[in-house]
Amino acid sequence: MSAMPVDDVDDTQDERLSLPSEMTALLAVLPLGWAAQLIATDLSALRAAAGVLALGLIAVVGILLTRALPFLRLPSVAWVSLVGIVASLPMLPWGEAVVGVVGDIDFLALSVPCLAFAGLAISRREVAIARTSGWKLLVVGVLVLVGTFIGSALIADVTLPLLE
Amino acid sequence: MDRPADLVAAWRLLAVALVVVVLSQLLGIRRIEVGIGTILLLPLLYAFLAGLVLNPSITGRVGKVLGRREVRLASPLIIVAILPFIARFGTTIGPDIEAVIAAGPALLLQELGNLGTIVLAFPVAVYLLRLRREAIGATFSVAREPSLAIIADRYGLRGPEGAGVLAVYVVGTLVGTIVFSVMASFVASLDVLDPRALAMACGVGSGSMMAACSGALAATLPEMEDTILAFAGTSNLLTYATGMYVTLFVALPLVEWMYRKAHPEDTRAAAKPAATSDEEGAR
Repeated sequence: MSAMPVDDVDDTQDERLSLPSEMTALLAVLPLGWAAQLIATDLSALRAAAGVLALGLIAVVGILLTRALPFLRLPSVAWVSLVGIVASLPMLPWGEAVVGVVGDIDFLALSVPCLAFAGLAISRREVAIARTSGWKLLVVGVLVLVGTFIGSALIADVTLPLLE
Repeated sequence: MDRPADLVAAWRLLAVALVVVVLSQLLGIRRIEVGIGTILLLPLLYAFLAGLVLNPSITGRVGKVLGRREVRLASPLIIVAILPFIARFGTTIGPDIEAVIAAGPALLLQELGNLGTIVLAFPVAVYLLRLRREAIGATFSVAREPSLAIIADRYGLRGPEGAGVLAVYVVGTLVGTIVFSVMASFVASLDVLDPRALAMACGVGSGSMMAACSGALAATLPEMEDTILAFAGTSNLLTYATGMYVTLFVALPLVEWMYRKAHPEDTRAAAKPAATSDEEGAR
């Protein structure tokens, strides 16, 4: 893919963050999640902050693991999931405490900052692809999204009763 | 982010994002009744649309709030901003771990349901819309980043297969959250499929689509929220871990084979390296 720099800004390449930048960025987005919690839940400002910070801490551990174990080629989202699971297992000594702190955090409100950035990050290149692809490929694209959802749902719906 | 101009851009971007988040959250969840089912509009959807409206790549410079520098900074922030959300999902799996393990075989098998992209979209693309090799890139997977890498590696992104995968990638980026929140809330309100099955189907290997999908499910069936999150989160994690192998070793060979059946006259070698990517092979 050829890069087209305009005013020293090149939006065809994603920026790969250094570890300090990634930590700074995480610290910068946490207040957005906290603000959303204050509106979405009845939590006090302090309890919401504690919950969001605890989730931030899980994210930090996940980021560090991603960088420490690059040969496993798991993305950071996978590591953060795994750390979240281990942090909340009831049979482990810290499980109940962690769930106590993050259990009331509203997950939907937590996704709102990410989607705001997703909308803000659409690049000219992506707009250009959508314009030149033609309506046929756009129709196929929607069918692909529907197909993966319905396909998985049907298989799981048939399989689940067999396990009970 | 060490140049002063970038720092100013970063603050401006964060301020705009904060306003978008607060306004979206204040709007809250809205329900639309459509005959036999219900569609939910979620705050995450308003936030995405507001982001698009304020994005200079889409609308030109609306009020000159943001420039291309801010757009570029927003891109790495998507991944960082999704991490606390993913962490929250992880913490719903721990307490429910026994139910998740009991459903293990269903969770693993439904990963094959991602081949539904081929079952549904390939026949339409090839037999109805008469697409050629674009159909291979467009239908073999849900076209997230790992799929782009696979097609780039096999055929190059400039050939017809690349055009197909890029188009579907962009469709997913632009309308994925809308399609998933509408589809999931609608199907859940029909009450024909097990909500746990729908939750598993939400895990397609994209954080924002999973958010829209499981969010719509949980808002439709609030009494099952914890179960829905645990199953969606587990399925999504499985997709990150296994999706690459299913697409590479099952989905792509399958769609290539189906294409050869549909167009036996198309003799373009299946797995030529990127060297041929500039030629309009199939046309």
